[in-house]
Amino acid sequence: MAIVELDGVKKVYYLGKAEVHALRGVSFSIEKGDFASIVGPSGSGKSTILNLVGCIDQPTEGRVKINGTLTEGLSDKELTNLRHKTVGFIFQSFNLIPVLNVYENIEFPLLLGRDRPSRKEAREWIEYLIEAVGLADHMHHKSNELSGGQRQRVAIARALATKPEIVLADEPTANLDSKTGQSIIELMKKMNAELNTTFIFSTHDTTIMSIADHVIRLLDGLVVEDTKARAAAGGLS
Amino acid sequence: MFTLKVAFRNISRQRKRSFLLAGAIAFGMLVITIINALTGGLVGNIRENFSHALGGHVFITGREFNERGQVITKIRPDERLDQLLEENADRIQAFTKRSQALPSLIFGSKQTMHLVYGVDFHEEDKLLGSLVVTQGSLDQVLQAENAVILPLPAAERLGVEVGETILIKLETLTGQHNVGELVVAAFVEDQEQFGLSAAYVSRAYLNSLLGLGPHEYQMLNMFVTDLDVVEEFTRTFREGLLMPGEEQEEEEPNVTVSVGGVPLEPVPRQERITRWEGTRYRVMNINQIMEPVELAVGVLNRVGLVIFIILLLVTMVGITNTFRMILLERTREIGTMRAFGMHKSQVQQIFLWEAVLLGLVGCAAGLALSGLTILVVGNWPLNVDPSLQFFLQQGRITFRLSLNDLILNLVLVVLTSLLAAYWPARAAARLSPIKALSSHT
Ligand SMILES: Nc1ncnc2c1ncn2[C@@H]1O[C@H](COP(=O)(O)OP(=O)(O)OP(=O)(O)O)[C@@H](O)[C@H]1O
Ligand SMILES: [Mg+2]
Repeated sequence: MAIVELDGVKKVYYLGKAEVHALRGVSFSIEKGDFASIVGPSGSGKSTILNLVGCIDQPTEGRVKINGTLTEGLSDKELTNLRHKTVGFIFQSFNLIPVLNVYENIEFPLLLGRDRPSRKEAREWIEYLIEAVGLADHMHHKSNELSGGQRQRVAIARALATKPEIVLADEPTANLDSKTGQSIIELMKKMNAELNTTFIFSTHDTTIMSIADHVIRLLDGLVVEDTKARAAAGGLS
Repeated sequence: MFTLKVAFRNISRQRKRSFLLAGAIAFGMLVITIINALTGGLVGNIRENFSHALGGHVFITGREFNERGQVITKIRPDERLDQLLEENADRIQAFTKRSQALPSLIFGSKQTMHLVYGVDFHEEDKLLGSLVVTQGSLDQVLQAENAVILPLPAAERLGVEVGETILIKLETLTGQHNVGELVVAAFVEDQEQFGLSAAYVSRAYLNSLLGLGPHEYQMLNMFVTDLDVVEEFTRTFREGLLMPGEEQEEEEPNVTVSVGGVPLEPVPRQERITRWEGTRYRVMNINQIMEPVELAVGVLNRVGLVIFIILLLVTMVGITNTFRMILLERTREIGTMRAFGMHKSQVQQIFLWEAVLLGLVGCAAGLALSGLTILVVGNWPLNVDPSLQFFLQQGRITFRLSLNDLILNLVLVVLTSLLAAYWPARAAARLSPIKALSSHT
């Protein structure tokens, strides 16, 4: 089942009079449970694609379908609800909420929605996530008391808090040294395998993209390679 | 409530900034609270001191025409009045039936104007017990009919000794000059801090000088047990004393308060008065007398309110600027929260909660400071001019804050805070998530 479908997507940015064609007609689909990587040189449109999939931006042309829902024509409220239910985000610079501690940072997406899990349920789930990302000893630390790698682990747990179908990560390792970056991708892979959550991440790093079981390569706003290698990926993990 | 929690955490984020804003609000709150409490205390004290000086909360006078067509202020023995007094006995703490005059007291070459009450000493048995004698004896007043009890300052002004005779010069109710003799029976301590205390003679004697019968009097003063129902109490008497066919009188709004301690001679009305038969009663109470005072105090409170609002407006500018700064500082944070499914309205809520909390913290601090100030100032005995004692309670400034004022001030603070944060909050809510996320802050 395709969890993400892009069909003839174009994105044009207007800089004054100049038009920037960030995407020039992109089509691909990502299956549920994929550990997908979007690669390509700087400016090729990776972030643009992730923003469209994350429903924080809309295409100029073409269709984006998330978990069966077309994003076209949705209001801000509907998009917000769709994001809340379906998508988790991991950012390059972590973006933890500084006034909240580790536990609260992971909890907060749960507090936004209307149908919330029971207290006990939420607590158990968050504790499971904290355990899973290896931060059980740091539950009550604020983000400024954590290293970059630890912060990104919190971010991974946070992205999974609402049990979304899709987690998006735009260059999640770019602010980390290569060893820590590697461990972060491995953690993402572990969660992907454990929860069958679809992960889509962008990266420049070739060693990191090799862990992906689905690679979409971009060049100048066009897909130049779309390789799905489930058998090979299975061998890696 | 997640937004409230985040807002609460946020205000402790930039301590110095929050401290300054809350401090400004606290200062405004301090000023207005002190003004409100001070005026509240002032009114209370003036009312109490007035009641004391006037000898009551409710005052009844009677007027009738004499055979020459003059209006005379007097009350005759009246069954209706006695019955009303009896029926309402449980609501009356004490009452007095007195005559009064503001005559010249003369001794040798010295003379002084002094308030004199004509008292039925047998009826008012508590009065003699309440006077503090410094010289002479009070027993005499029950025997000699023209004995006078003088307050010490008056005695000193006249240079008179106990046992000596002074002259009393006054006008009768019909305007003739009259002179009598008084034998000084005793000196008593000035009861009033503000020098309003009266001399006392027997009512029958003063009446004879004024041209009244021995059982007549001029004013019936009553202390009620509960000041809260004084209006209703007043109405009972007013209605009970209406003459058959008499319309309820319009109350004159401008009561003159004379410093002699006798406020109850209303300005003669210019309109033609048609003659009536019998006694017309006028029933007034302390609230009516307090009206001009409350008017003045109301002005003071309004000035305070204006100052408060100006302070709040200045603070408002500060809050707005601060929140605009906050908006810039937290743009990416807002983008993150939006990405995770926070609605616009919730972003706005965080900002508005933050403003409300800031306002409330400011209010709390301001009230705490006011409390402290009140505690210190209120316990400071003041040695001021006797005339100012009228505003004090046993030489101390008292404070009384009404709940209404307090709530009004709180509401004002919360409203201005909300208003100040409204535009930045709206701007925050309107940030597009993607733009907010690509911000560098
Ligand atoms: N908000 C914007 N306004 C104008 N042009 C934009 C905007 N966002 C992206 N672009 C342009 O669109 C193109 C694609 O940008 P995008 O950020 O998707 O690239 P990317 O592959 O993520 O690059 P990088 O690896 O540097 O992050 C680039 O040419 C970029 O300059
Ligand atoms: Mg990018």
